[in-house]
Amino acid sequence: MSPPISRRGILRGTLGGGTVLVGESCAPKIVGERAEAPSLPAVGDAGPASHALEFTVNGAARSITVDPERTALELVRRDLGLTGCKEACGHGACGACSVLLDDVPVAACLLPAVALHRRKLVTVEGLAPAGELHPVQRAFMAEDALQCGFCTPGFVVAASAFYTRWRAEHGDAEPDRDTVAAALAGNLCRCAAYDGIIRAVQKASSGAYEKPPGPEPAPPRYDARDKVTGAAKYTVDVQLPGQLEGKILRSPHAHARVRKVDWSKALALPGVFGAVDLLHGGTTLRFVGQEIAAIAAIDARTAEAALAAIELDLEVLPPLVGMDAARAPGAAPVYPTRNTRKSAPNASEGPLLPLGWDGNVRGPFQLFSTAKLKARRAVARLREAPAEGVLVEGTYKTQVQCHTALEPHACVARWTDDDAVTVHLSTQGVHAVAEDIAERWGLRRDRVRVLAPYVGGGFGAKVTLQLECVAAVELARITARPVRVVLERREELTTGGLRPAQEIELAVATDRDGYLQGVTARAFADAGCSVGSTSTVLMRLMYAKAPKDIADWDVVNHAPPGKPFRGPGGPPVFWALEQAVDIAAERLELDPILLRKRFDPNPARNHLYDWALSLKTWRERQPAQSDRGRFRRGMGLAVGGWFYFVQPSARVQIDAGPDGIVASTACQDIGNGTRTVIAATVAAVLGLAPADIKVEIGDSSLVPGPTSGGSRTTASLVPAATMAAEQLRDELLERAEQLVGARGVAVPGGVRHPRGVVTWQQLLAGSPPLRFVGTRKRDKGGYFLPPMADIAPGRYVAGSLQIIEVEVDTRLGKIRVLRSHTGIAAGHIVAPALARSQALGGVIQGIGYALYEERRLDPNTGALLTGGLEDYRIPGIGDIGELDVHFVEDGYERVNGRSVGLAELVTLAPAAAIGNAVAHATGFRPRELPLRPDRVLQGLRG
Amino acid sequence: MTALELPTTLDAALGRPGELRAGGTDLTERRRLDLSRGTVIDLRDVPGLDAITWREGQLHLGALVTLAAVAAHPDVRARYPAVAATAAAVATPQIRARATVGGNLLQHVRCWYYRRPGADCLKSGGSGCPARSGDHLFHACFDLGPCVAPHPSSLATALLAYEVRVEVAGDREHTLASLYGDGSDARRHHMLPPGALLTGVLLGPPLAGEQAAYVRATSRARAEWPLVEVVVRLAVAAGRIDTARVTVGGVANLPLRLAAVEALLVGKPAHEATLAAAAAVAAEGAKPLTHTAYKLDLLRGAVLDALERALAHTPTAATPAKTPEPSPDKPATAEPT
Ligand SMILES: Cc1cc2nc3c(=O)[nH]c(=O)nc-3n(C[C@H](O)[C@H](O)[C@H](O)COP(=O)(O)OP(=O)(O)OC[C@H]3O[C@@H](n4cnc5c(N)ncnc54)[C@H](O)[C@@H]3O)c2cc1C
Ligand code: FES
Ligand code: FES
Repeated sequence: MSPPISRRGILRGTLGGGTVLVGESCAPKIVGERAEAPSLPAVGDAGPASHALEFTVNGAARSITVDPERTALELVRRDLGLTGCKEACGHGACGACSVLLDDVPVAACLLPAVALHRRKLVTVEGLAPAGELHPVQRAFMAEDALQCGFCTPGFVVAASAFYTRWRAEHGDAEPDRDTVAAALAGNLCRCAAYDGIIRAVQKASSGAYEKPPGPEPAPPRYDARDKVTGAAKYTVDVQLPGQLEGKILRSPHAHARVRKVDWSKALALPGVFGAVDLLHGGTTLRFVGQEIAAIAAIDARTAEAALAAIELDLEVLPPLVGMDAARAPGAAPVYPTRNTRKSAPNASEGPLLPLGWDGNVRGPFQLFSTAKLKARRAVARLREAPAEGVLVEGTYKTQVQCHTALEPHACVARWTDDDAVTVHLSTQGVHAVAEDIAERWGLRRDRVRVLAPYVGGGFGAKVTLQLECVAAVELARITARPVRVVLERREELTTGGLRPAQEIELAVATDRDGYLQGVTARAFADAGCSVGSTSTVLMRLMYAKAPKDIADWDVVNHAPPGKPFRGPGGPPVFWALEQAVDIAAERLELDPILLRKRFDPNPARNHLYDWALSLKTWRERQPAQSDRGRFRRGMGLAVGGWFYFVQPSARVQIDAGPDGIVASTACQDIGNGTRTVIAATVAAVLGLAPADIKVEIGDSSLVPGPTSGGSRTTASLVPAATMAAEQLRDELLERAEQLVGARGVAVPGGVRHPRGVVTWQQLLAGSPPLRFVGTRKRDKGGYFLPPMADIAPGRYVAGSLQIIEVEVDTRLGKIRVLRSHTGIAAGHIVAPALARSQALGGVIQGIGYALYEERRLDPNTGALLTGGLEDYRIPGIGDIGELDVHFVEDGYERVNGRSVGLAELVTLAPAAAIGNAVAHATGFRPRELPLRPDRVLQGLRG
Repeated sequence: MTALELPTTLDAALGRPGELRAGGTDLTERRRLDLSRGTVIDLRDVPGLDAITWREGQLHLGALVTLAAVAAHPDVRARYPAVAATAAAVATPQIRARATVGGNLLQHVRCWYYRRPGADCLKSGGSGCPARSGDHLFHACFDLGPCVAPHPSSLATALLAYEVRVEVAGDREHTLASLYGDGSDARRHHMLPPGALLTGVLLGPPLAGEQAAYVRATSRARAEWPLVEVVVRLAVAAGRIDTARVTVGGVANLPLRLAAVEALLVGKPAHEATLAAAAAVAAEGAKPLTHTAYKLDLLRGAVLDALERALAHTPTAATPAKTPEPSPDKPATAEPT
């Protein structure tokens, strides 16, 4: 456990300001070193800035000199400060960097800066005259064609060119969906706001969003305007004076022992300011890409050159890549000792329970079994006497899926004082991470400020304090400069977060009449070198009365660790369970919905069953394998259930006075619409328009807000915002009484009293500043479990029902999703347009999981192969089919606020629905994800 | 330290040590990955290479013509439909607006063992092919040489279906076969000597009444590298197939022409049974790797698909470009035949 050795040795303390060691006894030790006399390079690594360019940007003439390696993306973002143009992949696959070059969309990341010479460049900032909107921007706002907004400028730029072209050729005709998809095929949206995007572009192109005569209408999404104009600043856009760029040195080997890390040569390079250790005392590297150290330098290229100059003395050891290697007899343990096991990263959201280890296999985790023996007996009986019922047995496999938020993990840290730090962070939890930072660096909580006004997606990967933040904060401390650390896409796809691969051995036993007798499941998870992926617990949410013997194991190996990913454990478990139920229905010759009704006492889902049974498309679905030709259509159904969580500490503060009403909380928007939900809730209490409420979030110095994980944001915030707004309303009612001398009643916009109406604005005009803080009160009947680590699982589970229609091309093995119908029971929907978009986004992520996405490692070395967005394939705009959503809103009356969250729920069932649809279409019952053409062809050949 | 040259004439661009840059959509990524070092010779200011012109009944594509311009050009669409459809299906609209004919033909392989930091493979100067012993799910099923990465150029697959003359300044004129060699030299991406500059390609005359199709097999609808791609050109007279050209990509470290398939088509009646019999031999001679046997099925399926489409006179790929995309470069010129 020796820390890395530097040229000047490890000097504990702050001798000469050189080496700094921070940390409480409980916190890991962090060692770093500052370059003694950092000098600026005379000439950057990329050569002299020697090429003079003249061009126009957004209408203005510019001349600028660039170095030979400069890309247009760097020039636009850094030299011109036009940060609406985003980098999300850096290799031409995502379109986030789209700009118009002589009116044609191009990818700025692959465009050499010198190509701009004598050309016309337009960025998102220049699509419309200052203060105005381009019709496409207006359409994106009105149709809510965005969530986190990180991809939005790129889409808007590409769509604006299509709009011009289309209208020139077709006038007011509306383009069809496929035409729009073809034009936008170069843009990716991980939130998958595609349906809204297509609609927005169709309508804008038909002239529906030309400049309105009056003021611009308010969009359904509170912060949409900032997102469509490129004004929204994400962490990656922060540029502070004197800011350095931090880069991380990563393990080139899947398994190695660190003998020595020597960064002295790196520190001596011009432009390099400091280095920090990220091994934290560890000496074993357990995956390719594991963080070893970080360097801060004047720019990214200098930092990269410095990384290459770090001397690593490693003892390379044989790796175990994948579960089969790790489980093989005689496989060396990845964690050989009790202590090393304790250091295994936690892939789950909760604390780790102590479980047994057998070599590389950890488990079983079987706390959630119920009537275990009965379940086993039911299965065993049918194995012996198959005629007595239906036994569906099989092993289902799923792949590793990467979160792939389009904004990578990013942090800009700046120490404002010896004991105070401000951290710009792309995070799902400004409040929680500020607490973590305070604890880790031994700072007072009020000396830590975490800022995240906009976050380009998270999906669970940005919930806690991550190493990019540790590196930036430490480097900033050592160098006494602001330091920015932004992961590249390859790094993001390595350590940004992933959903573990799984193998689930499942048995479902029913009696002859289709009543569920028992479920047994053994799930093995490949979360690389991390542990704690528990998935079978989700089976407890389903078909509640049935006996269940359910258990989970981790199989550790030399691969990157997992992180909670939207509905952790869910998609694999539902992939298995809901296909097994479908097979049972087939064998029992029962409608799969009717069979589920036999299994399922859940009232929320029963509403959904009735809805689905009433659908014409379901009632009229063709018998299985009706198509015999090349293209075969089928329809599949699957259901899901999800916990709902509450963060009891969540607060919303309202400040009101002559300047208006401000609602604030230390929460963040990751695309879910936090600002919208708060504004809508407060406005509804007062009968105002949401735009009348000013919302402040994304700042840990505000009252504690929920972490955006576990679908808890809305469920936690709505009651707190309502409470604060009601307190304000009641206070103003009293003021009105004092003012007019009679008791009035609250009406939309103000107080009605015997002599007329006095508006809230009038009441506030003469008022001293008022402040109310709303809290999140318990639900009626309390929670399912008492709050743990400030998170309480609710009593009332949310339900979803997914129908998907597919077409299988039996010749080329391609599955096309034609239509999906999603039913959701998650209580009251606060912002319907946003909820719809979020739901569809979850369904589309599910489609990606089912058909395309797959992280692949080299089986021999454990190196990442799918390191970019060309190889790691998230769904594109042409892959979504037609989608609709149906909300069942009642049934959650005992929940405070009546909303239980749907972000995770919606992504559980799509894969299984697709599996069932493929089987319905072709008779091929898939077991393994993703359903690539090779698997489909193989499956069809039998 | 690196340097950039911006020659203003063809001559000044020739014979320079370093790597040429056209659209930069391939080279920029390789610079980032350190797979390309040294001087860049950018063709931005070299005139005269960006036109589509007729030369005595043959179509000439200048090296700097963009794929978007190829896909949108009315003459290409009318007379060389296989080329237009192929160009329209490559990559994304943003890439096609910049990617050039020369760059597409001479781009480096997309193997996931090659395009990564610290690549160590035959093409990056190493001693073995890690894909062969590793994960080659998307690699060749005709194992022609030490490097098993499929040839990346879709355009090359389409051009192979024509008699093509590849014009090179600083080297002799090439055919596609001589441009790419036989795949046995794993270190090379093409056979042009350093410093040579591809100036354009001349496509043999279209066939009378030619029918063509381009098919690419992928998972997603768009913007994905093909697992297999197929170009078919058929000329049918009096119900018989007079001429047939079938070329495929994604299956070998070279674009391939399927002579066996062609042989079963020529002279036969233009109907389903002929096509099926011909497609059935599409994978003849294939030598799949451990994980690429599926491509044989896919190849037979894609060839059949392309033949059927060609015969049905569906000249475009599954996703026709309904409104042609303009190119940011100067408008291509054309003279009528
Ligand atoms: C997301 C994505 C998907 C893609 N999908 C496909 C696909 O399906 N099919 C496909 O074919 N391609 C695909 N591509 C690759 C793309 O087509 C190529 O990057 C592009 O065609 C290269 O052209 P360029 O002009 O930008 O070349 P550059 O990057 O400028 O150059 C490429 C190479 O060619 C050399 N070169 C260029 N011009 C000349 C010349 N005139 N003489 C001599 N040497 C020259 C350069 O030196 C360099 O080595 C894809 C790319 C991306 C980013
Ligand atoms: S960042 Fe340029 S295309 Fe992704
Ligand atoms: S809105 Fe498109 S990536 Fe988030």
